[in-house]
Amino acid sequence: MAALSAPAVLFTVGMIAFPVVYTVWLGFQTFSSTGKQSFAGLANYTKLISDTEFWHGLWVTIALFVLSLALQLVFGVWLALVLFHARRLSGIVRSLFISPFMMPPVVAGMMWLVILDPSLGAANYVLQSVGLPPSDWLASPTWVIPTVALIDSWQWTPYVALIVLGGLQSLPPSVYEAAQIDGASPLKTFQRITLPLLLPTIVTAAILRSVDLLRFFDIIYITTQGGPGNASNTLNIYGFRVGFEFFNIGYASALMLTLTAIVFGAVLAFNRLRGAVAW
Amino acid sequence: MTDAAHNERWIRWLNTVQLVIAGAVIMAPTVWMVLSSFKPSFEVTAYPPTVIFAPTLENYVELTRTTPFLSYALNSLIVTVGSTALGLLFGIPAAFAVSWTRITWPAILTLAARMAPGTLFLLPWYVMFRQVGMIGSYTALILSHAVITLPIVIWVLLPSFDAIPRSVFEAAQVDGCSVTRILWRIAMPLVASGIAVSAILAFVFSWNYFLFALVLSNGDTKTLIAAAFNFIGEGSTQWGALMAAATLIALPPLLLAALVQRWLVSGLTLGAVKG
Repeated sequence: MAALSAPAVLFTVGMIAFPVVYTVWLGFQTFSSTGKQSFAGLANYTKLISDTEFWHGLWVTIALFVLSLALQLVFGVWLALVLFHARRLSGIVRSLFISPFMMPPVVAGMMWLVILDPSLGAANYVLQSVGLPPSDWLASPTWVIPTVALIDSWQWTPYVALIVLGGLQSLPPSVYEAAQIDGASPLKTFQRITLPLLLPTIVTAAILRSVDLLRFFDIIYITTQGGPGNASNTLNIYGFRVGFEFFNIGYASALMLTLTAIVFGAVLAFNRLRGAVAW
Repeated sequence: MTDAAHNERWIRWLNTVQLVIAGAVIMAPTVWMVLSSFKPSFEVTAYPPTVIFAPTLENYVELTRTTPFLSYALNSLIVTVGSTALGLLFGIPAAFAVSWTRITWPAILTLAARMAPGTLFLLPWYVMFRQVGMIGSYTALILSHAVITLPIVIWVLLPSFDAIPRSVFEAAQVDGCSVTRILWRIAMPLVASGIAVSAILAFVFSWNYFLFALVLSNGDTKTLIAAAFNFIGEGSTQWGALMAAATLIALPPLLLAALVQRWLVSGLTLGAVKG
């Protein structure tokens, strides 16, 4: 029996466990411009505390995380309710709904780059034709984070919706019948019955999205590379650039271990929340 | 018509309107991408944008003429097929063993790896692969992408293996069947559809993965996704070719996903949700 899992275990040790331990060790090293490495103790971590770019990256990461998660949960639950009341969904409709999150995030970035072009993009044309002012979208330091959140939400809201739809379909019909007999309004029924019963599913969707949102990379790297300036420089983008553009592997390791701790901390916190709303 | 029936129809109509709006928002950007890829170059950047035009394949021809698109596509195929095969080779027996023995830590470790930011692994891999001269090799790319495919295979298959009654295996064991034989002859045929779903999901996520190839590939082994920068170019002059590239890159995962759309959500949540 042990022999059956041996290849997977060996692979996991070689490609995951050992490299992570190695990253911890790299986090205690400094690399000079000539590539010479030496032991630095906690220098990378003290540097991190005084590094304004790190704190900026943390702020960008959290802002993007909160904004995207809120959008995706609100619209995801709405879309799930709409799909639920549509009853039967043909395979074609389902395929269309999953198409945003099954395409590569890089492709989503490429196509929104064209749509959101400040001077020739279709998005600004639509805004102007309904009398709204055009936006610089990804090129604007103020709007780049909401814009990236919007792109990611376009991609992943249907995913959240399908998870919540699964939760809706597994709710016992008897609770609705009771509400109907009591003459509860649809809004009251949703607020007092559906939403509380759905909360565990919604928290599960939140966990799955948080893991991706806290390490946000693909769409930003393909569209802005952290810009304009450093306006969309998330921790993952910052760590990547420190490591592979400036080749400061030691400091990048410290940054990435910190980000990993944040991701796992968030997952554990959400997991406790899920325990609290379970029924 | 009674009031209640009238209300019912009104609610149905309202729901359909919402469904159509949601569908339009979801589909519009993709439709725009595909339309733009068939526009003549002077019309791609027309402002106001045009919807009616004479479709042309010029962007696709331009793309294959000016960039090594086909060799990037071949690289993507090699890395994706290789890592999917490796994920299945390691993941199927591992999922079976975890399901049988209830020793879950190997499965949980691969899941933890899936949650950590990719850069966390990429930093030590870069140092390690450089030391042995493997940067730019297909081997390094396939091994790194197997970190994506292995947890997908294990976690999609775990519920399938769990669903097989124990008595099936116990009877085979009494008949003197070895564990490997039970897996190969009895368990795997029973979870064949699960294996197909896990293979397709692994393929899609390996194909879509960006970060690792960005650092571990070189000019000869660059995957389509990592080469996306080469297509973006300067300004809006190449929009037609860019949208042609985007359409072609998105096509394989979208076609495969349509095949398994029914099982997709439960598979994608790695067992957290039964959809």
